[in-house]
Amino acid sequence: MARTLLVVVLALLLFAALATLPLFLKAFYIRVGLSIFLSAGFAVCWWLLAGFTAYYSFGHTAFVGVGAFAAALTLRAVAAAAPGLQLAAGLLAGLVTAAVIAAAIAWPILRLRGHYFTIAMLAVALVLGEAVSAFPVFGGSAGLSLPNIAPSGMRVEAFFYWLALALLAIVMAIAWIISRSRLGYGLAAIREDEDAAQMLGVPTTRFKVVAFVLSGGLTGALGAVYALNLGYITTDSVFRGSLSLEMIVNSLVGGMGSLLGPVIGAAIMTGVTKLVLADLLEYHLAITGLLIVAVVLVAPDGVAGLWRRTRR
Amino acid sequence: MTALLSVEGLAAGYGGALAVRGLDFAVAEGSIAVLVGANGAGKTTTVQVIAGALRPSGGTVRFAGEAVTGRDCPVMVERGVTLVPEGRLIFSRMTVEENLKMGAINRRAARNLGRNLERVFTLFPRLAQRRHQFGGSMSGGEQQMLAIARGLMAEPRLMILDEPSLGLAPKIVAEMFGLIRQLNVEGITILLVEQNVRQSLQLADQAFVIEKGRVVLSGDGPTLLDEPFVRTAFLGL
Amino acid sequence: MITLLQTLVNGVLYGGILSIAAVGFSLIFGVMNVINLAHGIFVIGGAYGALVAWSTLGIDPLASIPPLMLIAFILGWLCQRLVIQPAVQRGNPVAALLVTFGFTLVALNLLTVAFSSSVRSISPSYSFINLRLGDVSFDLVRLVAFACGLLLIGGLGSFLRFSRWGRIIRATALSELGARLCGVDARAVYALTFAVGSAFAAASGVLIGMMLPFTPAEEVTWTVYAFIVVTLGGVGSLGGAMLGGVLLGLVSALTQTYLGGVFTNMVMFLILLGTLLLRPNGILGSAFKASR
Ligand SMILES: Nc1ncnc2c1ncn2[C@@H]1O[C@H](COP(=O)(O)OP(=O)(O)OP(=O)(O)O)[C@@H](O)[C@H]1O
Ligand SMILES: [Mg+2]
Repeated sequence: MARTLLVVVLALLLFAALATLPLFLKAFYIRVGLSIFLSAGFAVCWWLLAGFTAYYSFGHTAFVGVGAFAAALTLRAVAAAAPGLQLAAGLLAGLVTAAVIAAAIAWPILRLRGHYFTIAMLAVALVLGEAVSAFPVFGGSAGLSLPNIAPSGMRVEAFFYWLALALLAIVMAIAWIISRSRLGYGLAAIREDEDAAQMLGVPTTRFKVVAFVLSGGLTGALGAVYALNLGYITTDSVFRGSLSLEMIVNSLVGGMGSLLGPVIGAAIMTGVTKLVLADLLEYHLAITGLLIVAVVLVAPDGVAGLWRRTRR
Repeated sequence: MTALLSVEGLAAGYGGALAVRGLDFAVAEGSIAVLVGANGAGKTTTVQVIAGALRPSGGTVRFAGEAVTGRDCPVMVERGVTLVPEGRLIFSRMTVEENLKMGAINRRAARNLGRNLERVFTLFPRLAQRRHQFGGSMSGGEQQMLAIARGLMAEPRLMILDEPSLGLAPKIVAEMFGLIRQLNVEGITILLVEQNVRQSLQLADQAFVIEKGRVVLSGDGPTLLDEPFVRTAFLGL
Repeated sequence: MITLLQTLVNGVLYGGILSIAAVGFSLIFGVMNVINLAHGIFVIGGAYGALVAWSTLGIDPLASIPPLMLIAFILGWLCQRLVIQPAVQRGNPVAALLVTFGFTLVALNLLTVAFSSSVRSISPSYSFINLRLGDVSFDLVRLVAFACGLLLIGGLGSFLRFSRWGRIIRATALSELGARLCGVDARAVYALTFAVGSAFAAASGVLIGMMLPFTPAEEVTWTVYAFIVVTLGGVGSLGGAMLGGVLLGLVSALTQTYLGGVFTNMVMFLILLGTLLLRPNGILGSAFKASR
């Protein structure tokens, strides 16, 4: 109990400290922070499903895209409202639309296991991406633009920094609460051995669906923020296979074993990309690739796992 | 008689826990040795280590006077150790003949492929009839015969059989034990893992009882059959 | 009626190419249970190899297939030995997939630096010849590529079916432990499998390069198509890859003619999804897993 309290207090302090950073940092570094929070948020959302249940989705960009386009279309409809209301409407639209779509596909797709689930999610993302680019409502190849909703007087990057940080905190809190709940234990049982879990009376289907819908919906909400920050979206920018891959890579680099893994992974990968490789643009992909290979081979349980191992 | 196979202080396991710890036994050349023990005692683990399929974490394995601890399967097969595994592991979507040819891929046996195929087909006429049929399409007994035949194709000096009678009808089991004796007479040293304690001990020149990864009793077959521990634990007397 | 016939012909010819472009992926998936994200980069690498041979040395693309297959074989072997095998031994099912992705990024980067990201194509002298049979026309290049594809698939099929190493590969796929106990060095088999798969990917890339323009980034497309073909037809079987390829080719040609080019990919991906949900093992089932 005391430990729980300590964790909560420490986390709050850490987030508070992070929240003060924009007051000191240059715009460039604020944007780096923002990118880290967004990719950490995405990775945690993905981990919410994969980390708990070992269902590795290869198509989470579907939810990013759905959230982004839902937010863009909603913001058109409420263009006259106050910026605060617009933001709320956009976030809600992203969350709800992605969650509804997740719920719609959850039952058939979660019957698949292993590689089959992985490929099926890839197919879902591809189908949705193609559908969005085929129908003119979504702007076709020209895409859609989103209004600037940052309060006047506040620096845009700082606003999105705080927004992304807040969402990351919420997503992490949800994941943390789940990990300590009956749902979390049930999901862990599914990861270890789904058939055995079912035999022991875990309502496996219901639990998997809940995790899937939560994961998808939260990804959608983050997708809305992602779109607002971009200011302008096309199919290619939000239905992007590399977005799905980044979630996986970040989680594995950080370590699948704990909630901190995806966050650490996102911080490392995004940090390295934005800070170290900024001057090496031409070889950016190759270095990222080598980094992935190195981490998988040297630190199979991720950086978090490496740390745990050296402490032992 | 000298020991063809000897195992000293063997330790092996999966990930964390050790399934076998400090296991010792030796098998004399030309004999039939039997390992018995409860489910999970560590019999399969032991024979897989000997066959080179599993790396031990301690101890030594000697075969024909040489230390072969931790050698890979190809080396062990080449030297003359063949394991007919628990669950048979035949190649279900390959024909009987292809299965048998797989048994003979080591260099030593590859030379005599034709002769060995003939020998195996005389030994198991049923397999000759089903030569072009998929291994997986045969009955359980036939599949077990195929697994043994595949093992013979490697020209083993020591043949290890892990629960060959599992799931077979009593009549087939009797046939199987007859076959094992015949192979032994032909000069192959046998190490047999069995749950069919009574029948296998009747066959055994040497027998070892394994419990929790250790040999707890040993002796010749008839002696062990009279042992009170064996009678209560395995024969239900 | 003519359009339909022409569309069907186009579909089958394109399908043949899709088939040969998927066999390497299928073999690796079926035998090693590894989703090889580097498949597409070997395909595109083959196309660039043929481009170099043709534009600098004047070698006909078809003649460059054997040496390019050899190079891809060696690269595939090294890739499997140095990065994939160690990752497989880590035991995490996604680890192997991730290293193939890392490898892809490196190769993609190198290809882009070497050749830029602009669109290239290979057009040997015969590439504009068009044959007519009644009202149906055939591109000579497509016919030649189709025939080569069939030949290659036939060759791979015979290798797997009749050769000693082919038998060893099949046995290892069916039961790794069973094969090891026969004296098979499983790691060598996996390296061989990956090398053969890579060689066939590169060969298909040459054929694709003769027919279609390409860029380095196109690799994703070919990985995804291989996915779809294999999912449709069934993992690990060459017959499945041919069936899946031709079906996909037909679907692609038909949607292009009757619905419009915007919808071809969507329909292909929907078919992938539908197959997964209704018949996850593909139409012919997995070649290596007993139907349980
Ligand atoms: N692949 C494995 N991974 C983890 N643990 C294993 C594995 N195989 C066996 N074990 C464990 O090792 C111990 C010994 O198993 P082993 O298969 O050697 O027993 P056995 O004597 O052959 O039993 P049986 O008569 O049931 O075949 C058991 O506790 C078992 O749970
Ligand atoms: Mg056993």
